[in-house]
Amino acid sequence: MEKFSAEYFRKLANDLKFDLSDEEIEDLKRDFAEVEKQVDLFDAIDTAGVEPMVYPFEAETIFLREDAEADTLPQNDALKNAADVRMGHVHVPKVVK
Amino acid sequence: MKSRLNAAQAIEALHTLQPEINACVTIIDEPELPKGDALQGALANIPVVLKDNVSTKGIRTTASSRILDNYIPVYDAHITKKLKDAGAIIIAKTSMDELGMGGTNRNAYTGPVHNPWDTDRIPGGSSGGSAAVMACGIVPLAIGTDTGDSIRKPAAYCGVVGVKPTYGRISRYGIIPYASSLDTVGYFTQNIADAAAALGVLAGRDDHDMTSSQKEVPDYAANLNPDLKGKKVAVFKTLYDKLTHPEMKAAFDRLIEQLKEAGAIVSEVAMPEELMELIPPVYKTIANAEATANHSNLDGIRFGMREPGESVEEVMTNSRTAGFSSYVRARFVIGSYSLFEENQDRLFRKAQKIRRLLSDAYAKLFEDADVVIAPANFTIAPRIDETSEVRFGNDRFEDEHMQLANFTGYPSLTMPLGLADGMPFGLNVNAKPFEEQTLFDVSAGMEALIGWKGEPEVCQTIR
Repeated sequence: MEKFSAEYFRKLANDLKFDLSDEEIEDLKRDFAEVEKQVDLFDAIDTAGVEPMVYPFEAETIFLREDAEADTLPQNDALKNAADVRMGHVHVPKVVK
Repeated sequence: MKSRLNAAQAIEALHTLQPEINACVTIIDEPELPKGDALQGALANIPVVLKDNVSTKGIRTTASSRILDNYIPVYDAHITKKLKDAGAIIIAKTSMDELGMGGTNRNAYTGPVHNPWDTDRIPGGSSGGSAAVMACGIVPLAIGTDTGDSIRKPAAYCGVVGVKPTYGRISRYGIIPYASSLDTVGYFTQNIADAAAALGVLAGRDDHDMTSSQKEVPDYAANLNPDLKGKKVAVFKTLYDKLTHPEMKAAFDRLIEQLKEAGAIVSEVAMPEELMELIPPVYKTIANAEATANHSNLDGIRFGMREPGESVEEVMTNSRTAGFSSYVRARFVIGSYSLFEENQDRLFRKAQKIRRLLSDAYAKLFEDADVVIAPANFTIAPRIDETSEVRFGNDRFEDEHMQLANFTGYPSLTMPLGLADGMPFGLNVNAKPFEEQTLFDVSAGMEALIGWKGEPEVCQTIR
């Protein structure tokens, strides 16, 4: 598949679980010309030996909590926002038919 | 903190202004009132508004996206609870750019928000609804979130104070995320004293957010000291040099002179332009990639708007196609691309490495300074019909420089500096991590020098 072809973007979008119109794909082609230009800008910067910065601070804020039940959601609350609920479960179309 | 309007008056004012500025997604006509200890809280009976990405139990929370149009949280965000415990009355959920992704507040499911100073212009985004409400002084505290200047730019465009505290100072639990390594909860106020009081209420460790800080929360309001004598104020010259608008430049120059007269020690600091040029692409690469991952749970299955389909996959695809705007889907495609195995090193990881270089250079600016100041905006708020939502490319670094505080996590605020062509413009003030007291102290001193007293004409209808 040719990179940045309509088919390429359609496949990319489908992996992300949505569709794109032909017009949206044309807009994306223009965006990706800029994305690729930016690689040149990035390449010009020497980052040898530089660690990626994942979060602003590296201070330890995590801890091991007691192995006790905490913050549970009652079933009716957990299901409140689902569009289709049957017999206490979120209902979806059959997977194995 | 005091409110000019009580909750009922503020709700009425929101309704009155809604046709003009379209700032709210939901106006809560019968809000929950404080009870018990909350009646003695720091915000007792104070009306507040929340950006619509803050979870509110029992109140619709859409993040201005169609996919969450029917979503009613079953729990409160950490800050929602804090506000309620302090006695605040939550009267509205405000409009934003869809899922926080944008800087205009034009891309909201309920339509664009209008700047109260000129309703043909944007309020800025993504926290544009809260900024517009604050511009009219309807409430003394409006909550926003700031991933890449989403509080501070709208504050500058709307003539109010906008605060992005240190990353981790306020818990993000219950906030619909955008980019987790940059997202910061903050707020809008009318003045610096209220900004200091608000942080005292909102800040503090929360075990539900593993990035929230365990540092003690000082009493910022009680300790507020506006004395500028001996304070080290560094002017960010790389940005100052880009200031071409005559009224903006004159106001900035006047402030520098006033600072010197008040006994502040004023110096200049700079960063190489070649490095500054990397701010916008590094931001977009990291933010889009993190957003793509964060929003993979929006699929219409367990919550949100569901579209019909023959299979689970089809339900998800149809729900996400109809649920996200074209603009947001494009940003997800760009974000996902930089996370592909073959692109990660040259795009996403490279951006994270450059983020560290930018952060190290930014930290150096503070080596001999209490605060670093810069213009917040270099142009006035653009007209709605002239705004372009550039998804990638060609941003000027001076328009995006406040993202440095998101890369580094440093605290940063904007405050009104003056009017140019009848529209507000702002001053950006930055301090070292967890030095919000210094940030507020120096800003309070400068607030007195600037003497801002602006109010948009449209807001006078609510008098």
